[in-house]
Amino acid sequence: MELSLLPQALISGVLAAGLYALVSVGLALAIGVIGIVNFAHGEFFMVGAFFAYQLFVSFGFDPLLSILFVAPALFLIGALLYQTTIRFVLKAPELNQMLLTFGIGIILQNLALSIWGGDPRSIGAVPYRAIGLQFGNVSIGLVPLGSFVISVLLVGGLYYMLARTPLGRAMRAVAQNRIGAGLVGLEVNRVYLVAFALSALLAGIGGVMIAVIQSPTPTVGLAFTLKAFAIVVLAGLGNIRGIVTASLVVAVAESLVATLLPNGDSLRTAVFFAIIFGTLVYRSWRKL
Amino acid sequence: MSRQDQGTSAPTRAPGAASQLTQPRSRPASRHWLAVVALLAFAAGLLLAPAILRSMFGQASVSYLSLGIKAVSLAILALTWDIVARTGQLSLAHAAFYGSGAYTAAVLLKLTDVNMWFSIPAAGIFAALLALVLGSATLRLYGIYFAIASLAFTEVLKTIVQIMPPAITGGTVGTNLPPLFRPTFVAGEMERWEVAFLRNQGYFWVYVGLLLLTIVVSLLMQNSRLRHAFTAIRTNEFVAGVMGVNPARYKLTAFVISSFLVGMLGAIEGHRFGSVNPDITFSVHTTVLALVTPIFGGLYTTVGPILAAGVLSGVEETFKRVLSDGYMVAYGVVLVVSILFMPRGLVGLFKRFTRREPAPSDRGTGGAQDG
Repeated sequence: MELSLLPQALISGVLAAGLYALVSVGLALAIGVIGIVNFAHGEFFMVGAFFAYQLFVSFGFDPLLSILFVAPALFLIGALLYQTTIRFVLKAPELNQMLLTFGIGIILQNLALSIWGGDPRSIGAVPYRAIGLQFGNVSIGLVPLGSFVISVLLVGGLYYMLARTPLGRAMRAVAQNRIGAGLVGLEVNRVYLVAFALSALLAGIGGVMIAVIQSPTPTVGLAFTLKAFAIVVLAGLGNIRGIVTASLVVAVAESLVATLLPNGDSLRTAVFFAIIFGTLVYRSWRKL
Repeated sequence: MSRQDQGTSAPTRAPGAASQLTQPRSRPASRHWLAVVALLAFAAGLLLAPAILRSMFGQASVSYLSLGIKAVSLAILALTWDIVARTGQLSLAHAAFYGSGAYTAAVLLKLTDVNMWFSIPAAGIFAALLALVLGSATLRLYGIYFAIASLAFTEVLKTIVQIMPPAITGGTVGTNLPPLFRPTFVAGEMERWEVAFLRNQGYFWVYVGLLLLTIVVSLLMQNSRLRHAFTAIRTNEFVAGVMGVNPARYKLTAFVISSFLVGMLGAIEGHRFGSVNPDITFSVHTTVLALVTPIFGGLYTTVGPILAAGVLSGVEETFKRVLSDGYMVAYGVVLVVSILFMPRGLVGLFKRFTRREPAPSDRGTGGAQDG
């Protein structure tokens, strides 16, 4: 074990937590407000990444600029999917809801596979990708730092929206009681639509970041669906406030395992799933 | 998530649910004989299929048999998944039991020199034990929690296989299995393609044998008290518990039986493909195939998954010719369309047209209806 790597591992974990929080907060929004467990959430993230990639390849758009295009595009995709599919299963058994979103996920992933193929794609030529800041023996890449800052701003913005704005109040009201919210004059369906579209938008922006940080393939979506689930489950299903803490725990745990354990990089994903599995099983038995 | 919403999203029952529950008892005995005769005819048809195909198509029968093997394999995968679904559990761990079966066979034959046919039941037993462990740990989980936990279990298992010593599992690369059939070419007595035909015929029969076993198990479960217990648990686990049906026991029973069967399928497929590899053997595609097929065909039935396997393997073959990378998109479309427009699958569609049954009042597959 290399203890000198500890500060570096902690910093990397915290920076990664920003992106994780951004992606999982969208999933928590869909679960908390609409009550839809969205197995396609990670695919929105993947679509965001590949839109940014395509904008970069075709028009040379800087990823920061492409966020301005990707965000509305994902909002529209989310709204469209809600209107055409999700809307109809709101009252159906949970099994049907999960299977429907699972099916949407399969469609999005395989459409992407047939368009972009299975090879990793990345926006590698961005000039600031290689820039890093050095503090002692800790180095911080400009890109992870930037993605962390953007994520913090977006997640903070979402929290502010939920707490202080009329739309946020409407979302909280609908989440508490959809019939009661309807009775006092809220257009429940429209609130759901906006919440779902917003959740897709947040995931899409996260996707733009991953296209710069890593070299994603179209299968990255499923991995991020699971990561987001791990965080959401750890925070408690539907608990939007707990997401930040849960993201920090998961991201730092992942980073520590990857850097400090021998052969740690291959254990990276296992950490996530062990956390999901352990939390779920522990919680279920504690209720005895 | 608010408590109220969880309440409203619970399965609402169709008006005729109560009468459907008592249906098997009032079913006349002649229907049972009809089912037995139909099953025997189906079995005879499948066992004779290679010979018929050969006399009709000659050399082309080799690829027809390959397609047949795929369809039968899909039918086993789907029917075993459906057995778990009957207790209301959405299992995303089917690939885990399929994969653990394949790996059990591979590791067993690598480390010991037992007869290779022994690897198939051994794989089933190991998968069943694994299901017992996972099932016992997740007994108290339901709905979405069980789905996520089972998906996570698959990934953990895959990682374990990857980081085990390469001498045992072959690590990330995987390892090889011997073929079950190795027909020898006899010059002068047979043509070249007949070697491939004999090999495919052997495998086809093994697959058909496992399919028939699965069908018999499924039918026996559907015609026993288990069916009532499963339906009760699926409709409302808590109420079922209050009524004296032990949900944990029945969920575990379904899980273990299903995994035993799909573990054997994994071993047979491992032998046919000749190798196992963590990413391919534990691929989420297996789970996707296993769940889309029964939903398309009709959940909680024996005929539905088999019917759908026949249709879908044809659809997949067509899509594979057009799209090389994204042919799985077909399964996504089938899944979404099935959930939105025909939640009771092909079987439900067929029943609606023949018996003039009223359309289901709920858009649900989770209710009490089954057939």
